[in-house]
Amino acid sequence: MRFSTKQYFIKETYKSIRRNGFMSFASISTVAVSLLVLGMFLMIFLNTNNLAQYLENQVQISVYMQDSATDKELASVKDKLTKMPGVVKVTQVNKQQALERFKKRLGDQEQLLNSLGKENPFPNSFEVQVDNPDRIKVLTPQIGQLPKVETAKFGQEVVEHLFQLTKILRLGGIVLVVFLAMATLFIISNTIRLTVFARRKEVIIMKYVGATDWFIRWPFLLEGMTLGFFGAVVAFVLINSIYASLLDRIHATLAFLPLLPTSPLLLYVDLFLLAAGTGIGALGSYISLRKFLRV
Amino acid sequence: MLIMNDVSKVYPGGSVALQDVNVHIEPGEFVFVVGPSGAGKSTFIKMLFREVLPTTGSIFVNGMDILALSPKEIPFMRRQLGIIFQDYRLLPDRTVFENVAFAMQVIEAPHRKIRRQVNNVLDLVGLRHRSNAYPNELSGGEQQRIAIARAIVNDPVFVIADEPTGNLDPETSWDIMEIFKEINSAGTTIVMATHDKDVVDAMGKRVIAIEQGRIVRDEKEGAYGYEI
Repeated sequence: MRFSTKQYFIKETYKSIRRNGFMSFASISTVAVSLLVLGMFLMIFLNTNNLAQYLENQVQISVYMQDSATDKELASVKDKLTKMPGVVKVTQVNKQQALERFKKRLGDQEQLLNSLGKENPFPNSFEVQVDNPDRIKVLTPQIGQLPKVETAKFGQEVVEHLFQLTKILRLGGIVLVVFLAMATLFIISNTIRLTVFARRKEVIIMKYVGATDWFIRWPFLLEGMTLGFFGAVVAFVLINSIYASLLDRIHATLAFLPLLPTSPLLLYVDLFLLAAGTGIGALGSYISLRKFLRV
Repeated sequence: MLIMNDVSKVYPGGSVALQDVNVHIEPGEFVFVVGPSGAGKSTFIKMLFREVLPTTGSIFVNGMDILALSPKEIPFMRRQLGIIFQDYRLLPDRTVFENVAFAMQVIEAPHRKIRRQVNNVLDLVGLRHRSNAYPNELSGGEQQRIAIARAIVNDPVFVIADEPTGNLDPETSWDIMEIFKEINSAGTTIVMATHDKDVVDAMGKRVIAIEQGRIVRDEKEGAYGYEI
């Protein structure tokens, strides 16, 4: 393609976007809103997935003892735990320590515990760390069989629930993406159809003087891509600032929640949105041109 | 060379526009296509630039079987033709210069060549001094001259004109015909559908008369032959 041809295409695209001012604005807004929703959804999905994986990799089993267990029995269980294959570390947490720990977690709301009176509901327990998450599933039932052990569990249920949630999110995400993509496609192809209609005389003359289909197509494709691109820019600027401020807030209050840091997550999401916006723009134009070019 | 072999056209709905048309047009000829309205002149002309496809028969433009062309080849076939319409079909938002240059831009001619060639053809039609005017600032005759300039700017082998003087007064029509003569004398083949009896009679060129879809007359130095 000649340089002068490229210049010509860019000039035509610019003219056309300005001429369709309002429709161009409407298209950019629609793309922005669609991609904003899509982007937020993507963030939620990625974070949930990350959380599930994080918990799955927690290599710790909690072993809760019966209250009737004597100190001697506790010591013997600790001894057995330590000797199990793959166990790296066994930490004993007595009733008093468990209570203290819970108090700390409550923070300002410590007074809630007053209603308990002198009763300490927390059992003696052990925290068993293993070298490999795969061992957890084998060890946990074995530990459950030890004398005076009430229950032994790892984060299994939570992890499974989270994975179920990501599955639902993934499914819902696909439905949502398809729906939003179609709405966006519709709006963009409508805008381009208006453009094509406004320039139908020009297109017909182009055909008569022997312009190739691609020569005719390019300015319209560029227009659709430009609209999609700017919509995506609006969407990712919004998403970046929303996510950054959300992270700040969550870190301040729920520091233990393992959220994905902004980098490189936002970069990937931004690139994805740009590609999606531009791609949808091109596709939308292509669709509305297909019929028209058959002169 | 333009060749039509046994060409017939039946429009959907059954109306027969052309029937068994056989025509040979040699390079450098100037051919008028005449006949009453609805006789098939327009269909005849439109087939030459492949806007209308025949129902049966074959058409060759410069040796190319235009019915066998792939969609990709059609633009390149049209580049050998300059097409002129009764209603000029200029782009109202572009200047005279831009309208003519447009035909070269779309075939990706180099910048410098566009400037030189556009000025040449504007000289030929005598409107170089109106280069920066917009079509609505020009008279009908001037607009048609711009359309002619656009049709010939890419040096086509054939110029195909569909009633080019249909909207013009007789005097202006003569000016336009002078331009066509000049283009023809440079070797370009011209095929023109027209209703303009005076012009056809005075020019003494080949005349193909079509009536009810058939060629009823094809004379080397013909006359219009119809009473209006």
